[in-house]
Amino acid sequence: MTIDKTPPNPSEPTEPAEPAEPSGQVPETNETAKATTAKPTAPSASSLAWARRRGSVSRFWRQYRTHRAGLIGLAGLAVIALIALTSPLFIGGDVQSVTDAPGTALESPSGEFPLGTDQFGRSLLGLLIWGARISLVVGLLAAALSVAIGTLVGIIAGHYGGWFATVVMRITDWFLVMPALVLAIVLATVMSRSIWTVILAIGVTAWPTTARLVRAQTIAVESRPYIERAQALGGGHGHIMTRHVLPNVMPLVLAQTTLGISTAILTEATLAFLGLGDPSVVSWGGMLQDAREAGAVSSGHWWYLAPPGIAIALVALAFTLCGRAIEAVLNPKLGVSR
Amino acid sequence: MVTRIPPRTTRQPTRQRIRFRLFLASGAAATAIAAGSVIPLSPLLPAAPQAQAAPNTLNAPKALKAPMAPAAADGKKVLTVAVDQSVDSLSPFLAQTLLATSVHRLSYEYLTNYDAKDASTIPGFATKWASSPDKLTWTFTIRDDSKWSDGKQATAEDAAWTFNKMMTDPNAATANGSFTSNFKKVTAPDPTQLVIELKKPQATMTSLDVPIVPKHIWENVDDFSKFNNDKKFPIVGNGPYVIEDFKVDQYIRLKPNKDFWRGAPKFDELVFRYYKDKDAAVAALQKGEVSFVSGLTPAQAAALGNAENIKVNDAPGRRFFALATNPGAKAKDGEKFGNGHKALLDPDVRKALFHAVDRKTIVDKVFQGHAVEGQGYIPPRFDSYFWQPSDTQKIDYDPAKAADLLDKAGYEKNGSGKRVGDDGKPLNFRILCHATDPNDKAVGKYLQEWWGDLGIGLEVECLDNVSDPWLAGNYDLAFDGWSVNPDPDFVLSIHTCGALPATAKDTGATDNFICDKQYDDLYAKQAVEYDVAKRTDLVKQIQSRLYDTGYMNVMVYPNAVEAYRTDQIKSITTMPEAAGNIWGQDGYWSWWSAVPADGTGEASSDSGSSTGTVIGIGAAVVVVAALGLFFMMRRRSTAEDRE
Amino acid sequence: MSSARTPGVVRDAVDGPVKTGPSGGPRTRARGHRTDYLLYVAGKLGGAAVSLFAVLVTSFFLFRIIPGDPVKAMTHGKPTSLEQMATLRKQFGLDLPMWQQFTEYCAKALTGDLGTSYQFHAPVGELIVEKLPATLLLTGVAVLIYSTLGLWLGTRSAWRHGGLGDKVNTGVALTLWSVPSFWLGLLLIIVFSVGIGPIPGMFPSGGMQSGNETGFAHVLDVAHHMVLPVVTLVAVGYAQTLLVMRSSLLDEMGSDYLTTARAKGLRDDLVRRRHAVPNAMLPTVTMIFINLGHVAAGSILVETVFSWPGLGGLFYQALSVPDLPVVQGLFVVFAGAMILMNLLADLLYPLLDPRVGR
Repeated sequence: MTIDKTPPNPSEPTEPAEPAEPSGQVPETNETAKATTAKPTAPSASSLAWARRRGSVSRFWRQYRTHRAGLIGLAGLAVIALIALTSPLFIGGDVQSVTDAPGTALESPSGEFPLGTDQFGRSLLGLLIWGARISLVVGLLAAALSVAIGTLVGIIAGHYGGWFATVVMRITDWFLVMPALVLAIVLATVMSRSIWTVILAIGVTAWPTTARLVRAQTIAVESRPYIERAQALGGGHGHIMTRHVLPNVMPLVLAQTTLGISTAILTEATLAFLGLGDPSVVSWGGMLQDAREAGAVSSGHWWYLAPPGIAIALVALAFTLCGRAIEAVLNPKLGVSR
Repeated sequence: MVTRIPPRTTRQPTRQRIRFRLFLASGAAATAIAAGSVIPLSPLLPAAPQAQAAPNTLNAPKALKAPMAPAAADGKKVLTVAVDQSVDSLSPFLAQTLLATSVHRLSYEYLTNYDAKDASTIPGFATKWASSPDKLTWTFTIRDDSKWSDGKQATAEDAAWTFNKMMTDPNAATANGSFTSNFKKVTAPDPTQLVIELKKPQATMTSLDVPIVPKHIWENVDDFSKFNNDKKFPIVGNGPYVIEDFKVDQYIRLKPNKDFWRGAPKFDELVFRYYKDKDAAVAALQKGEVSFVSGLTPAQAAALGNAENIKVNDAPGRRFFALATNPGAKAKDGEKFGNGHKALLDPDVRKALFHAVDRKTIVDKVFQGHAVEGQGYIPPRFDSYFWQPSDTQKIDYDPAKAADLLDKAGYEKNGSGKRVGDDGKPLNFRILCHATDPNDKAVGKYLQEWWGDLGIGLEVECLDNVSDPWLAGNYDLAFDGWSVNPDPDFVLSIHTCGALPATAKDTGATDNFICDKQYDDLYAKQAVEYDVAKRTDLVKQIQSRLYDTGYMNVMVYPNAVEAYRTDQIKSITTMPEAAGNIWGQDGYWSWWSAVPADGTGEASSDSGSSTGTVIGIGAAVVVVAALGLFFMMRRRSTAEDRE
Repeated sequence: MSSARTPGVVRDAVDGPVKTGPSGGPRTRARGHRTDYLLYVAGKLGGAAVSLFAVLVTSFFLFRIIPGDPVKAMTHGKPTSLEQMATLRKQFGLDLPMWQQFTEYCAKALTGDLGTSYQFHAPVGELIVEKLPATLLLTGVAVLIYSTLGLWLGTRSAWRHGGLGDKVNTGVALTLWSVPSFWLGLLLIIVFSVGIGPIPGMFPSGGMQSGNETGFAHVLDVAHHMVLPVVTLVAVGYAQTLLVMRSSLLDEMGSDYLTTARAKGLRDDLVRRRHAVPNAMLPTVTMIFINLGHVAAGSILVETVFSWPGLGGLFYQALSVPDLPVVQGLFVVFAGAMILMNLLADLLYPLLDPRVGR
């Protein structure tokens, strides 16, 4: 037992991401390697690979189902996504209009406005539903961006190794010690106010974690014999990275993305609250900022302040639950949900 | 994989115990809060039956006050003012923020002051003043009944030294140098005579807002760019209050100057306390921790208006809130720069935009009545300078006329309802907005919709710091607003050609690059006009000209909305005296005149600190108990180990 | 704050000790050999120094791209002549070319001089030193409480993982973690400061002290003001410690040596307490160190909401001016705190590990 045995240690090469079947993977990827490097005569081999992947997905789902918290999170996400996606059908963009606002300023909850109105007389329920779209989009895109950067850096650093990897990881480490929120605030201040700025600010500050994890995973995958075989068969760097490493780190990336979304949504709210969001777009963080600017806190209009915060917390919680369940399935050693 | 299931035998007993502890622990945070709420009872609680009924000492606020809070024991009357701005420096030579200059108003005398009634010039450190026939020499008679707080007599020598320092040391001219840049020579022939010689006539001579500092203290200062005047307390001054203590972004504490020539203030202490969050400040007012809060939102004003013992003061403000258009930024040398929209160079387009602004809705919806509809440049609060456009000049809300003007200017609607110019491009403007100003953002939303109906697109660009694109001329429209002083010279000067930057690389004092010959001629005339009536008339003509150029349009004059506790402040002077504001006055009237309420209105920090003491003990007990519990459990665990 | 609050990504949080080389090897080599440990220390120190320098360089250039003419911002709304502006530029060295500003900045920073604040006309170092105690007090107490709480609850949770208590426990922690801290702070102000219904407003809504009390009264007064901000920080922060402690303890509990120990007939409870908990503490302690590095930066929101006179509030305030030297100095301090705490975690880790012969 080495002292590195502390479970959540990414730099220690751990088991491959689909631990349930190391044996099943070797032939699979091997087949794929043959199929792509040798001759294009093997559509059957590639379809076999796809079948195997489908199989591992359903295996994944079977294990995921055993995590009740993960299921609750998933159900919550489904409901929220459904509401956000169908909202244009029943509320429409004119909830945002200030000149056609139906109510008067800061009405308390009533039959007509179940959550009351904001300082412009707009329905808060409508805004809350409408704002879900922006908050979710920002969360998803920012997490996707940061995970994309992290995966790219991680795979390249893990694959090439040597001084190049040392330098890249040095930079990653250095980003890791940067206070991320401070950096995001500064970036958001520098650029113009738009949701893209927020996405970018979150994306470029949140990637180092993923990069480290992916790199460790890449090293673990590449230490396996079939990679050597693929190389012997003439597989280039690009081939190995995209055909062998990437599919193996994908599950990890998925878990990272899911967890990253909740952080991204919280950061979006934080930036909006600090006045760094796009004021012409309705988001949950922006609603909190509006509530604060209207003086809702001290004038006792709690129904203005409470719902957006609860919505943020619920979505962040749902993504976290899902992410932890995915992690637990992929790496049962963590025992997160047991 | 290694099994994680523990042997069955020991399972049951441990589980129960552990589960019990776990539940105990889960509620720890809640317990901490609950424990805090059980122990103390705020003496400010309006309806707390226990407070009267129970002989329990813990619940009886009066019994607590005397022994527990030393500061409260002497029953001092403290006036606490919530502020949200930083003091940049306590040196009058450096201070720029409104809070810092207000504090200087309280602690130093200026040559002249402004009457609380109508802001007309009245004696301050000087009792009389006169100018020579050539308007170039001014003689001020300095009062002989003003003493520095260290006992020395304040004389004309101090004033002369202050001005000379500002004229000779550029570092000392940082804050107020604009007043002395036209001075040729300042002397003090005797302790009650101050003579100022000018290079050319200056209309602001009776409104020199420069704090006069004690020479015997300040002549020892080496570097005026670094000296912040915040190391040695109390700070020697001769205003109605003396600065006793200061902590950046925490508080400024002032004591009344008992020897103040106009009479000592009635409160025993004046504290400006810093609240970063406006809601926190309002909460503090509701609880009586502070006596006064300014800059309230409509919702806060409404909520406080219903509260007991709180008076909301909704006074005409000294600011204007305007739309400014980029008239094509250029420098004095004629070089054009920036990327302002070409369409805005057409007066009809600008007029159309202004015609589509419903000022009444802005007053009603955005300010919820706490503002006055905009007319001329100078707010009605300064009624002598206030000017209104005549019926023929007036650009009122008329979307149909706006559409008409745009059609005539060649911007007709295309199939999708967008106005398109000759170049075939749809008309889209940008407007610069201050990210920290909720009103900018709110009005921006309305403008987007009103102008959208006209067929014009608008992008609201909110920035923390708008000055960079602004100075570079990289804007089409902008939200503009200035606080107007009783003397309007400065706010008028920023629209003259002389204020343009020297070259495209420089920065000028110009507000938004307006340069108009007719305007400049009028401005030059008023600057040297010493006759009040004639100057007032010129100022009105200037405003009329500014309105006609159509480069900017005042939408509203926001009110100053503030509130104070009537159980702490019995009376306070507003400025103007009839329906005026309290915070940010031109003199020291409000805080100097404030009269403490008697009896119950005992100052805030007293009650605050006694409750504080109790709750502090409560909090400490909870923390200690939590830690104790934790270590006890650990000890017990170890003991079990040894069994 | 965002990176401090990533309970899901616990693996990252405990990653401190292996920040340098790609292999994580030094630690294994360090075992039991004094010289090896010294070499390891030297390597870590060197790495930290390089990081610190990189922070210095970035801080300079990062903040030069913030738009805004500080002089104009400083004099906004005041009658100011061009000469005055030129004087201000000269006072702050803004008239020099960029490279010269940079070399001067670096030279001065190495001697501890972080420049002069645009708005306060005071040395940045002095401002930071003045605000530091408030932040250390607030966040120090918060970290102490939430680490203790997290360790304790995490241990309990792992003991009976899968049970109802564990589920409630992790559920509550995760929910609180998902709450935006500034929002929780505002709610606490509504409920416990303004007061709602039967709940009296019993805590101050902002600041650090009310009057000019001295001695014990002052201590209690500050404690009173600290309650709400500390509760906010603890509520959103303790989940991370809890989850790391829980998962590392669970992992230890599945280890071979524990099975062996149990097989030897040692009582289950005893085995866990003697062997599992100390080992599981390691990643958690490391994470607490890293949290300590985060605290200064992490308090920006809470300090802003509660008007706490600390570094976070100063940062937010300076950013809106923008007061570049202050923002820059704080950035260096925040990043420096992270580097320092990572370094400490790195250095302590081999020493703390009970499996390393001492």
